[in-house]
Amino acid sequence: MMNKRIQWILWVGLIVILTFYPKVFGIYYTNLFVTFAVFAVYSVSFNLLLGYTALFSFGHAMFFGVGGYGTALALKHIAGLSLLGAMGIGLLAVIIFALILCPIVVRVTGAAFSMLHLAFGQLMYVLALKLRNITGGEDGIGGFPIPPFRIPGFVSIDMKSPENFYYFAIVVLGISLWIMWFFTKTPFGQIQVGVRDNAMRIDYLGFKVPQTKAVVYVIAGAFAGVAGSVFALFQNLIAADSAFSIMVSFGAVINTLIGGMGSFFGPVWGTAIMQILEEVTTRYTDRVELVAGLILILVIMFAPMGFVGWMRILKQKWLAHSAPKVKLEKAS
Amino acid sequence: MDPTTAMYVAQGIHGLAYGMVLFLVASGLTLIFGMMDILNLAHAAFFMLAAYFCYQVLSMTGNFWAALLLAPVATAFLGILLERFLLRKIHAFGLMSQLILTVGVSLVILAGVKIFWGTESLPVKIPPIMSGLVMIGGMDYPIYRLFVIGLSLVVLAIMALLLYKTRLGKIVRAAVSDADMVNALGINIPLVFTFVFGAGIWLAGVAGVAIAPILTVYPGLADQMGMDAFVVVITGGFGSLTGAFIVSIIFGLLSSYGVQFVSSLAPVLMFAFMAIVLAIRPTGLFGERE
Repeated sequence: MMNKRIQWILWVGLIVILTFYPKVFGIYYTNLFVTFAVFAVYSVSFNLLLGYTALFSFGHAMFFGVGGYGTALALKHIAGLSLLGAMGIGLLAVIIFALILCPIVVRVTGAAFSMLHLAFGQLMYVLALKLRNITGGEDGIGGFPIPPFRIPGFVSIDMKSPENFYYFAIVVLGISLWIMWFFTKTPFGQIQVGVRDNAMRIDYLGFKVPQTKAVVYVIAGAFAGVAGSVFALFQNLIAADSAFSIMVSFGAVINTLIGGMGSFFGPVWGTAIMQILEEVTTRYTDRVELVAGLILILVIMFAPMGFVGWMRILKQKWLAHSAPKVKLEKAS
Repeated sequence: MDPTTAMYVAQGIHGLAYGMVLFLVASGLTLIFGMMDILNLAHAAFFMLAAYFCYQVLSMTGNFWAALLLAPVATAFLGILLERFLLRKIHAFGLMSQLILTVGVSLVILAGVKIFWGTESLPVKIPPIMSGLVMIGGMDYPIYRLFVIGLSLVVLAIMALLLYKTRLGKIVRAAVSDADMVNALGINIPLVFTFVFGAGIWLAGVAGVAIAPILTVYPGLADQMGMDAFVVVITGGFGSLTGAFIVSIIFGLLSSYGVQFVSSLAPVLMFAFMAIVLAIRPTGLFGERE
């Protein structure tokens, strides 16, 4: 199989690039890459809701924030907690949080779902600002100890070095990405797509629609939480503005849209594109909002299927000159 | 009258004034959504833009009434451009695209405001006739807030007359329940859509001018009012004007009394109210559909 061999070569190439990336590009771009990886996983988890189940959340940042705050609070208050333990606590917090929201949110669809999340996200933001004695208000929680990654009697790797943290983050986020990808390929993942396309038919087939949504919801929330907790460890700081603010929620939407929500890896592309754009625009101008707004308008007007959809159209045109006109999938 | 009662009444007036302004913003939002299925996330940005226009007109002419007249109209004009040249083109792509587009527009408006007027908050003076207090029944009321309540009631009355007593209102109400059918009956629905969108933005514009002297004009205005207005629309039920009115008044009072009694948790009260309503009725208080 030629195709399979190319795939293997690509995988090995990717791993080699990722391994030597910090050595080649230096510390600035290493940290940039960790940020990219965090938001890529976060955006993919958002797309699990939007692209695969048609649940459009405008408050995905709350899971990101709960994961981050969970990890940060655990490290601050529990002495001698291990790294994975702290991440586990963040994950647990976000799963419990998602389970609490589930009964309310799986009953609504469409615009009501989006607006409900906008409101809940904002509520979490306000709470993070107001409950100052727990969350530290505007300053957030910072300067908590970062324990080394330790498997007793085996290894102990210091996580304060950016390079070591890079490898840790890449492994954790890579595994998260793989689990999410695997999840969409399971029979359950197919039911999820069925719910998106025709919820009533799935209902008639005997599957439970609200419960399916609930499971997807919790999983998407959990991985956003993982991204948030890696982000908290990476920055050694978690604050309301970087975790719960509406711009973080919009970030996921924008990345997914730019990348293309019809595909699993679309949001990853989108995150990369937006990150590069942000790097470039902040270098030349401080009007980042203006650029972001214009990009959103232009993408919606001219490439509603995003980067991946655009690539697909180009590919089809390239493969067959007389390719039939690509039908735009209805995005909703 | 003893001071405690005076305090209650004064807070009540504050709450009512804010609630009425909130209703002006939320009514446009819910009207647009009910009829066109567009959730205009740029609504609050237009509201803020009107406040800036008000500041601009006021600093050029010094006449508050000119600002009250011109600023909402100018804002509505921009809104109509948005509907005609951007939103209409992507109507086929569904709700998601409209949300993203309006987010993009609100970002552009926000950036534009920062470019033209800077980021610091700009004071807008209350016109001299309305700057004092008025004595009614042995109590002092700030005239401007009473004026805001009165203005909102007048706008509300005009809107109600327009909706329930004219042919245009009949068409709009019919289009809320089934736009395709009305279109098939030979009425130019796209034109009506543009009109309703413009009217909705105009309402937000009036609210923006009314609030400018109370809150001063700053870029964060959009976030504050936008969030409140969305919560009102969700809690009141999408597309329901009655719901929007009742919930706006409740939220206005809730926020003013909330600040009085539990100041640190005042913003949470509103969301808590919404969560309770939605847990019981997922469509909102008066909503009939999702």
